[in-house]
Amino acid sequence: MIHDFIAIIQDYWLLLLIGQYPNGPLGGLANTLILSALAIAFAFPVSILMALARLSKWWFLRWPMTALVYVTRGVPLLMLILWCYFVIPLWTGADVPSFLIMLVTLVIYQGAFLSEVVRAGIVSLGQGQMDAARALGHGYMGAMRFVILPQALYNMIPSMISTFVSTIKDTTLGYVINVPDLTFAASQVNNQLLTQPFQVFLILAVVYYILCWSLTYVANSVERRIARRRAGPRNPRLPAEAAPLKTITEQL
Amino acid sequence: MSTSVSEPQAAQAIRIADVCKSYGDYQVLKNINAEVARGEVVVICGPSGSGKSTLIRTVNRLEEINSGGISFEGQNIHAAMRSSELNKLRSRIGFVFQSFNLFPHLSVVENVSMSPIRVKGVSPATAHEKALKLLDRVGLADKANSYPGQLSGGQQQRVAIARALAMEPPVMLFDEPTSALDPEMVGEVLSVMKSLAAEGMTMLCVTHEMGFARDVADRIWFIDAGEILETAPPEEFFKNPRHPRAQRFLADLRH
Ligand SMILES: Nc1ncnc2c1ncn2[C@@H]1O[C@H](COP(=O)(O)OP(=O)(O)O)[C@@H](O)[C@H]1O
Ligand SMILES: [Mg+2]
Repeated sequence: MIHDFIAIIQDYWLLLLIGQYPNGPLGGLANTLILSALAIAFAFPVSILMALARLSKWWFLRWPMTALVYVTRGVPLLMLILWCYFVIPLWTGADVPSFLIMLVTLVIYQGAFLSEVVRAGIVSLGQGQMDAARALGHGYMGAMRFVILPQALYNMIPSMISTFVSTIKDTTLGYVINVPDLTFAASQVNNQLLTQPFQVFLILAVVYYILCWSLTYVANSVERRIARRRAGPRNPRLPAEAAPLKTITEQL
Repeated sequence: MSTSVSEPQAAQAIRIADVCKSYGDYQVLKNINAEVARGEVVVICGPSGSGKSTLIRTVNRLEEINSGGISFEGQNIHAAMRSSELNKLRSRIGFVFQSFNLFPHLSVVENVSMSPIRVKGVSPATAHEKALKLLDRVGLADKANSYPGQLSGGQQQRVAIARALAMEPPVMLFDEPTSALDPEMVGEVLSVMKSLAAEGMTMLCVTHEMGFARDVADRIWFIDAGEILETAPPEEFFKNPRHPRAQRFLADLRH
């Protein structure tokens, strides 16, 4: 049994790591990591912009964004992926690579989810913080940047981590539109071996688990460091010890 | 909107002219006319729900009004203007809230120095030095690196006053600055306010601290149901309130 795992890893580690590269497109774990990192990197600012649009006093920002968030949250991610897969090339008239389609889909999807968290974080601060910032002469955006968002985002850290973890897991769905990621590589391996699906997909599961777990771990220790810096009776909503547990239980 | 309230070189720091404000059908402010002279300390008192907070919040336009105008140093703060212009005017009007509203994610000294840096473009080093001086002035130099959550209510309110002063406003507004405090902490905040008044700061204070009003105020405005019913120097107001509702208000306070 153990021997099987070692043999699979010995024979296929390069395929699992980088896919067909350099003879084909970059794939495997490398592509999963790149896709996840890009999705997270874009979804984060996008979610802030979406939340600000939903809180805007201008209807022409508020209404379309509210509709987008509701639709996105109410549809399975797989539907959204297929939809983008067929519609984006139709609109743009270009042959858009599936990697890019997956990236756009993930950014919209995770951005929409995260934007609800950002919005709730902003609203839960109450009017007093905004009033205080405005009374000191800050403009709306200045108040958001220096007063509201730093607090809202800090309170959001556990939810953000779980969204990021689920982003990594969601990249696996790229399989249906042939994004050459780790899952894709594993299924190639499985197709070649035919007789060892259990071993192949267990390796896959372990790699994803390590990936998600280490992200959670890093983020939690960052969070604890911030909490320690602000130590004291403040912010009883976020006891540092309870945070990791919350992060795990909140995963979608 | 009336433009008559805008005049250069006004003798008044604040001039409120024909201000009306409604929430839906409910009229909170009914044709308010009043002035605060430079260097004057005015105390606004009146029963709860009478519109005191609403009135004082219209002075720096945290609340909009339906008609009338409020001039601050001769400029109508409720006139149509670019938001950058309004922000500039606002930064010259200090405001102290009942609930302190310190920024909990910033240390005490950062609370005080942040707005001079971000709004006025003061260099961080200068703003920091100034903030430490202001904290010293309100008796909290040793708390500069604490966070608001580590301070008592009275200490937080003193930081809030220092934060407002850091913008070097010629006028300070206070909306019940001691109402959220435990009784033993009221004195420390009032004494900071007293020293400000003694230095000649123009102040408009909503407060129920009648001792403070008696000692420090130049004039009292008594407001009830959205109207200023009486304005008088404190000795006159406390000895001979003219309006029956002012008489009843004072009688209730004594019990
Ligand atoms: N945002 C609001 N919407 C509707 N009514 C309000 C609002 N803010 C205050 N009011 C009402 O206006 C009246 C005056 O309120 P306020 O100025 O806070 O009184 P005070 O500070 O004198 O206690 C109260 O009756 C209050 O219920
Ligand atoms: Mg009030």
